[in-house]
Amino acid sequence: MESLETTVTQYEAKIKHLEKENQFLKRKLKRSEQQLVFLEETNEKKETLLRTVIQDLQQSQQSLEERQQAIERLKNTQAKLVQTEKMSSLGQLVAGIAHEINNPVNFIHGNLKYIDSCLNDLLKIVKICCQNPSNVQADLAQVAEELDLDFIVDDLPKVIKSMTLGTSRISEIVRSLRNFSRLDESDFKTVDIHEGIDNSLLILSYRLKGKEIPNIQIVKQYGEIPEIDCCPGQMNQVFMNLLTNAIDACEEAYRRGIQREFYTIFLETTHYAHNRVKIKVQDNGIGISQEMLPKLFDPFYTTKPTGKGTGLGLAISYQIVTEKHNGSLECQSQVGEGTTFTIDIPIQTETKLTSVKDTYSQFHLRPRVEAKEPHKD
Amino acid sequence: MFKVAIGHSNDFVSQTAIADAIAQCQETLAGIKPQAGILLAGIEFDREVILQEVNQVFPDLALIGGTTDGEISSVLGFEQDSLVLMLFCSDRIQIRAGIGHNLSQDPQAAAKSAIAQARCHTDEVALCLTLPESLTTSAVIVLDSLKTALDNQTPIFGGLTADGWQFQQTYQFFKNEVYSDALPVLLFSGPLLFSHGVASGWQPIGKPGRVTKVEHNIIYEIDNCPAIEFYHHYIGPRPPSSEYPLAVFAEGNEGFYLRAPSSTYDPESGSVSFFGDIPLNACVQISEAGRDRILSASQASMQQALQHYPGHDPLAALFFSCTSRRQLLGTRTQEEYQLVQQCGHQNLVSCGFYTNGEIAPLQQKSTSCFHNETFITLLLGEA
Repeated sequence: MESLETTVTQYEAKIKHLEKENQFLKRKLKRSEQQLVFLEETNEKKETLLRTVIQDLQQSQQSLEERQQAIERLKNTQAKLVQTEKMSSLGQLVAGIAHEINNPVNFIHGNLKYIDSCLNDLLKIVKICCQNPSNVQADLAQVAEELDLDFIVDDLPKVIKSMTLGTSRISEIVRSLRNFSRLDESDFKTVDIHEGIDNSLLILSYRLKGKEIPNIQIVKQYGEIPEIDCCPGQMNQVFMNLLTNAIDACEEAYRRGIQREFYTIFLETTHYAHNRVKIKVQDNGIGISQEMLPKLFDPFYTTKPTGKGTGLGLAISYQIVTEKHNGSLECQSQVGEGTTFTIDIPIQTETKLTSVKDTYSQFHLRPRVEAKEPHKD
Repeated sequence: MFKVAIGHSNDFVSQTAIADAIAQCQETLAGIKPQAGILLAGIEFDREVILQEVNQVFPDLALIGGTTDGEISSVLGFEQDSLVLMLFCSDRIQIRAGIGHNLSQDPQAAAKSAIAQARCHTDEVALCLTLPESLTTSAVIVLDSLKTALDNQTPIFGGLTADGWQFQQTYQFFKNEVYSDALPVLLFSGPLLFSHGVASGWQPIGKPGRVTKVEHNIIYEIDNCPAIEFYHHYIGPRPPSSEYPLAVFAEGNEGFYLRAPSSTYDPESGSVSFFGDIPLNACVQISEAGRDRILSASQASMQQALQHYPGHDPLAALFFSCTSRRQLLGTRTQEEYQLVQQCGHQNLVSCGFYTNGEIAPLQQKSTSCFHNETFITLLLGEA
């Protein structure tokens, strides 16, 4: 009997244990089922996610290809615009040089007739001397009086001398032109920056003598600055750009009826710190509005009328001053008052860039060794 | 001397489970009275019963705890529907508990109250451990409130309580009481040594979007379209789920942090709720993780913590691992603890749980942040 009770108790305990285990397994099963559902769902989500990401990537690739093509088109357009800018600068250069050469050429050409006439007169005298050597004195005196030989003897060397001066001037201009035409050199050299400014003024001098507008006065206040370590061709390009803009601004001011006693371009150079110089180009032209100032150095941005500017001049100048010369180019302006561009560059730079060739370096100008004051008409 | 005891039971009957865990602890304590403790329990337990039982055995214990989505310990490794009790004894380190109520209504007041209760003004707080509610408020606001209530310098660690991936209701424990919408804290003062590690394993994938309308932890619009559409684009017409969090690239920062959706979304407005705040204009990208990457990150977290531990050997480790990690790891979840354990020494006493969000500084001795999808290791010892 006791043994039966023990057996029953044992079985009851076993049943209790099995019931607990059963409950435990049921809970485990429920969890497993939940986990299975979750994993199925997460699998589906991951599949959808990856499929979408692949699709996104394909679209991105397509859009990238389209962008690459657009960039290619943009590059072509940019190259064309750079070419236009090049032609525009070249046009100015040619116009300036042509004007400069034209003066001595006209002068020489005009004097050739006079020399020809003088030569004919002198040949007549020579002829008389050769034909009748016995009675040469009487004839010679008569002819000399007729031809005003004293005047010829006095004047002809002067004319020849002045023609020699004219040809020297042409040689000088041609030499300058040759210097300006060394387009692909952009090495760092130590140069007198004033020569670069003066060269640019020479090229642009024909625009300073106004035909339709009053003359533009140039006021120079050059400080004592040492020779600068720079790419002279590129810096000359910057001066050309800033001076052209200053002339344009003065012309535009005149056209819009902004009266000035003198339309003036003020040029100032200062050695203001141990290794720094400032070059200021100031005009009293039309001025630039405050809204336009922040965009001024952006490529393809121009304040000039359509067709007049490519919008690359200042962008290229900015790049030359800041990137190639570790300097700064700043602009201050007041509408109706005028504009000041200030270049700030080191006298000596540690990063001497050699053989920098890019599309923009097509107009690199070299310093003129024998630069002169602008030619006077 | 700092002593840590651990008890872990996978018995699903509340009375026997807690009795088992207490017995294991008592064996280690060998008659020493514990000062404070952490109780981590699966959502199915009779919470009142287990807390009464602990209170009966250790009446003055500064105990905090909460419900989980899986438990970890150096006794049983990874378990679900189990119960872990960790007890601390020390004559030099002071550990005090506090609790704040109505967290979702007034997080500042809750944090202030919890810290005031736990703080002993004569001692400088070395570390704050917290196990807050996760579903009713933004964890970022909770953390900010705690930082303000402390002195903004005290490192805060912890995990948000969970409810076994149901996202319905979580519970917090304080002494012999069960709470919901509460903020329990444990403040450590004295010669405590600690270090930590944080790692995730998630990587951004897909196109980035910009958060264009947001209110704390609820994103209304991404790229001016309902936020739900951003999720639907990637995971199909399903509710957003926390294993696919958003990588958030805040303005001016190169790196990213993760924000997991809390499974709450409004189909009408298309808004999606997250466990933490997301700044306006932040760049977001959906993120995913594979199981190998998740496990490597867990190991990295432990290695980081060990590398920065200021003493010789840590005495105890606490782990806070995101619930999404457990979900994705599936049958490989136990590997997470195994890999971590292999990095440390064999006698390291440890416990942890799968959370709805983790709290720890990103770097040693920096301010605490709220995380999702991470594995946080906190190593403790005495100087």
